[in-house]
Amino acid sequence: MHEAPIINLGGFNIDLSIVTMLIVTSLIVFILARLAVRNLSVENPGKLQNFLEWAVEFVQGIISSTMDLKKGKAFVSLGMTIIMFIFVGNLLGLPFGIVTEYSEPGHKVFGQEIVSVNADAFAELHDKKPNEEHLEIGVAWWKSPTADASVSMGLALIIFVIVHFLGMTKNTKAYFKSYFEPFPIFFPIKLIETFSNFLTHGMRLYGNIFAGEVLISVLLGLGVASIPALMAWQAFSIFIGTIQAFVFTMLTMVYISHAIENHAEEHH
Amino acid sequence: MSFNWESTVFTLIAFIILYILLNKYAFKPLFSVMEKRKELVMGQLRDAEDNRKQASELLNEQKAALQEARKDAYEIIEQAKSTGSKQADDLIATAKSESNRLKDEAIRDIESEKNKAVAALRSQVSGMSVMIASKIIEKQIDEKSQEQLVGQYLKEVGDKA
Repeated sequence: MHEAPIINLGGFNIDLSIVTMLIVTSLIVFILARLAVRNLSVENPGKLQNFLEWAVEFVQGIISSTMDLKKGKAFVSLGMTIIMFIFVGNLLGLPFGIVTEYSEPGHKVFGQEIVSVNADAFAELHDKKPNEEHLEIGVAWWKSPTADASVSMGLALIIFVIVHFLGMTKNTKAYFKSYFEPFPIFFPIKLIETFSNFLTHGMRLYGNIFAGEVLISVLLGLGVASIPALMAWQAFSIFIGTIQAFVFTMLTMVYISHAIENHAEEHH
Repeated sequence: MSFNWESTVFTLIAFIILYILLNKYAFKPLFSVMEKRKELVMGQLRDAEDNRKQASELLNEQKAALQEARKDAYEIIEQAKSTGSKQADDLIATAKSESNRLKDEAIRDIESEKNKAVAALRSQVSGMSVMIASKIIEKQIDEKSQEQLVGQYLKEVGDKA
């Protein structure tokens, strides 16, 4: 597996590939959205505008399937940003990858040493494979940002914060009460459930996309013979990427609706 | 799997910036356009509904007007028929009275002509009879009888005077 190009800048370990990919993903999403709304028209929308409107209606469909659309209108933008960001992020790693390989330590980017290929890393690798004389470490510069747990968990963290903030402010009583229902003894279980929701929300996305990329790099190792399998797997990965973007958005809306809905009202 | 919390922070920053930018520069105008289109479609639907109502109202009005016109036409025809027959009756009555009048006049004329003719005939007959009589008398009367007659007449005149 490839290493991440991490440099140490002012005490922070900065993963350059993640920074790059986040910027690329955001730019693509933003440019796509801007192109779509460039010539906005009420009566004669262009192709891209139609596409984006279809996406908006799709997200509205997701929201209305989990909560009242009147309440959910405020989350359409959030859902659109999530689904577009994750969809683009998931697909970015599929068409190609950029990997640099290093056989000796001491490479620098922006005047900083790449931590993943420093002397320690080579020493560690040497310990793992003591028989090999020619050691190489591959550093991946281009990959899906969502194939990194820190990014997926970051997205899940945003949703986690939004969900619980909304629960605490908009639905305070019912929100806190829900931790002690149906019996107060359920509190620890509810707490675990809350955090496991947060964990699975991020890890599901990371696992799916990361696994796709791992299999792609494994298939690439087989050489020319792998092309049919690679094509099939890339097609499947497009499908997985779409599904995961949808699932992530869906779960976001489900969690939000759970947090803002007053369950006590329904029992009456 | 290695967890790099700095990447998480970058993700948060990137996502929040992207959300704000998209919201401001893409979604807000897009949503307003979609809302406008929704209103446009709703307005057009309302218009279509109104038009349909108006059309059906107009249709009913037209039907009523047609019915009215038909009734009027029927009435006019009926009226014309009745006036026609009345006129015919009048004409016939006038003709009858006229013919009666003419007949009476003719009868009166005939009567008066007859009377005139009778009168004329009478006067002529008396004249002619006098002439005939005088002719006959001229031939038959001689001097003696004439004298006798004159004497008789004179006597008669003398008696009366």
